[in-house]
Amino acid sequence: MNAALPSRDARRAEALESFRERGMPHRRFEHWRYSDLRAILDAGQVAQSGTAAWHLEKAPEGVETFDLGKPDAPDWVMRNLGTIGARPTMKEASLAFADGGIALRVPRGRKIAEPARLQISSTGNVRVLLVLEEETSLTLLETHTGDAGLLRNVGVEIALASQAKLSHVRFAASALKSISVEHIGVTQARGAQYRAHFANFGSRLSRTELHILLQEEDAEAHLSGVNVLGDEGHADLTSHIEHVAGNTRSTQLFKKVAGGHSRAVYQGKITVREGANGSDSRQTAKALLLGGRAEADLKPELIIFADDVKCAHGAAVGDLDPESLFYLRSRGVPEAEARHMLVRAFLEDAVAEIENEELRAAIWQDVEHALPHAMRAAR
Amino acid sequence: MSAAADTKEQVAALGEKYKYGFVTDIEMERAPKGLSEETVRYISAKKGEPEWMLDWRLGAFRRWNEMTEPNWARVHYPKIDYQNAYYYAAPKAPEKKLSLNEVDPKLLETYAKLGIPLSEQKMLAGVAVDAVFDSVSVATTFKAKLNEAGVIFCPISEAIRDYPDMVRKYLGTVVPVSDNFFATLNSAVFSDGTFVYVPKGVRCPMELSTYFRINASNTGQFERTLIIADEGSYVSYLEGCTAPMRDENQLHAAVVELVALEGAEIKYSTVQNWYPGDENGKGGIYNFVTKRGDCRGARSKISWTQVETGSAITWKYPSCILRGDDTVGEFYSIAIANHYQQADTGTKMIHLGKNTRSRIISKGISAGKAQNTYRGLVSVHPKAVNARNYTQCDSLLIGGKCGAHTVPYIESRNPSARIEHEATTSKIAEDQLFYCLQRGISQDEAVSLIVNGFCREVLQQLPMEFAVEAQKLVGISLEGSVG
Repeated sequence: MNAALPSRDARRAEALESFRERGMPHRRFEHWRYSDLRAILDAGQVAQSGTAAWHLEKAPEGVETFDLGKPDAPDWVMRNLGTIGARPTMKEASLAFADGGIALRVPRGRKIAEPARLQISSTGNVRVLLVLEEETSLTLLETHTGDAGLLRNVGVEIALASQAKLSHVRFAASALKSISVEHIGVTQARGAQYRAHFANFGSRLSRTELHILLQEEDAEAHLSGVNVLGDEGHADLTSHIEHVAGNTRSTQLFKKVAGGHSRAVYQGKITVREGANGSDSRQTAKALLLGGRAEADLKPELIIFADDVKCAHGAAVGDLDPESLFYLRSRGVPEAEARHMLVRAFLEDAVAEIENEELRAAIWQDVEHALPHAMRAAR
Repeated sequence: MSAAADTKEQVAALGEKYKYGFVTDIEMERAPKGLSEETVRYISAKKGEPEWMLDWRLGAFRRWNEMTEPNWARVHYPKIDYQNAYYYAAPKAPEKKLSLNEVDPKLLETYAKLGIPLSEQKMLAGVAVDAVFDSVSVATTFKAKLNEAGVIFCPISEAIRDYPDMVRKYLGTVVPVSDNFFATLNSAVFSDGTFVYVPKGVRCPMELSTYFRINASNTGQFERTLIIADEGSYVSYLEGCTAPMRDENQLHAAVVELVALEGAEIKYSTVQNWYPGDENGKGGIYNFVTKRGDCRGARSKISWTQVETGSAITWKYPSCILRGDDTVGEFYSIAIANHYQQADTGTKMIHLGKNTRSRIISKGISAGKAQNTYRGLVSVHPKAVNARNYTQCDSLLIGGKCGAHTVPYIESRNPSARIEHEATTSKIAEDQLFYCLQRGISQDEAVSLIVNGFCREVLQQLPMEFAVEAQKLVGISLEGSVG
């Protein structure tokens, strides 16, 4: 073990202090204006949530794993744990209060075909660390189930070395009783690729936050996601992609369907730092409101300090297009079916961003399962 | 405006980019330095205000004492010492002016230099002007003709005296006293401004215009504008602003309230050219302004057009509350920031009524080391059935040391609402520049040409007299920004 690195206990103590100092995020935190966590949760309850249960369905061959609850963490864990991306208050809490979690490492040059399937199966705090060394590839399927406790608070750190490629699919089933907070920090070296898809079917309050640093040339991040929300569901996706180096690329495509009393939130911030010329960034967020009481809040943000860049964003909120609906009805498609087809069509391009066919099919299955809830309230 | 036509030549002659930077040497009367209840009472007494107005001001002042300066905007400046400024400064002049002949000739000269046609015989046809010099309104032209139509166009201090019921009924109903830090400060210490009332069914026979000038040093300017368009009326209002070049920063915190009753339309245009500070970021005006329009009656319309080229810092969000059914709000903006200027500007469209529509076109241009932010909110409330919004925000960067930022907020709580937002960021293309240069057009002219093209959609919305001035201004603000 490297003696120069602070111990895990020291890091946890520091995180605890930082969390206590800054307290619970709330509406007056600009980045939490659509998800008032403090109104439904206090700091004591975060501490009492304990550690979440997780399960890695047999690690694919060639992937090294380490249980963060165990002593004597290897060097690659200690070099990265608690150091990747921003350290917002809830992420500090996940480090301070989780007595465990999982670390995965793909050693240099290994391309792993089989997806690593990580299941977080209960509420509580937990940490996840992924280290992909040079010229590696991996697919991570992260699923969230279990709605028994109050809070699930996940802190994820991902370090992508040069030419590493990670496909990340995060799937969160509808969990209307509990609160879910996850922060994903990603650093990307030269030519590293991060593709991520977020399928979220709503919690009492659900917040997925990303902070991605494109640190060297040719790094790429491609984010996509779908929400199908009904009843009292809430899903907030907040991303911050920083083009630190030039010639980096990012795309985002999010589609949200909200019915009932649900609330769909997207806040996407792109920063192009001074000198990061040749950055290319596109961002699209669209919401379909199906229920009289549903709400969509979109905030696509561009913060640009370099002139030779291509940056664009688009956002739209609306109902199903009455003309399309009429077209289908005029061809004898019953109304309910026509609406269903149009909602599916609306989501199609975002789901198509998932490269793995099997995972794509799985997401469609869950969309189908959730749609009746979102559409039922539409009438 | 005619005098603006040769702006470029004048600029060249002066060897200066900011041609309004002169100081008029005129005897001033000031309130004691600093801000206290006494200052508020002093201003109110100077204006000979009734009791209710003083109470209103004191109420605002007490609230302001409990408020903290906002820090959410993307602007940075040293802490303002509110005690180290004068809150009232007025040119010493005869008590009552009946005609322009009685106005201090030095003042008239100043306005002539600024290209403001105060003397009626030289007027551009159809523009009535109210000129505000530091804290007070010095001259209003074309009163008689407006009176004929029943339009009231006068300094707000006069309106408080002559039309107290109307002022009481509307003042603070669009921007409440404690709306925000700067609006509350304005409510306590505003010294003058413009009051407009257009009666039922009247189409105001000419463009109304106010010209704001900060002259005295160490002075804040806090004007208050209240425009009421009664049922079925129409008014177009223009404002322009300049200030001398000084090393210190001066605070300008205005409040503008617009009320459009049923079927009325208000068109409000601004060409803001406060002193922006020098190329090292020294001096310049802090322009912290609250502007809001209330489409109170059904089928009313409020349209904001702004060309923001001046000020060291601009913090300004002209907004529309679309309260009545079938109301329309528009916001057209050009914001140019050069050298060390910082602009954080945009709009809010609050859709409350049925079938309300809004449109936002924003063009931001950054050069030098400037920071330019568009910040806008489109909010659709649950009852705003069939609300529509279209937003387009384009940013142009000139040089690699400046910043262009876009922060739109879209909040919809009605499924039948349709909101669309688009934004792009780009730079002046090398091939466009090259094309102009090889045809013998100078670099500065080429930039001016390209930027004017970029802004065209907004410039088209300006009344003709302003459009010409604004186009020149666009070019001048960016001189020397390339190469």
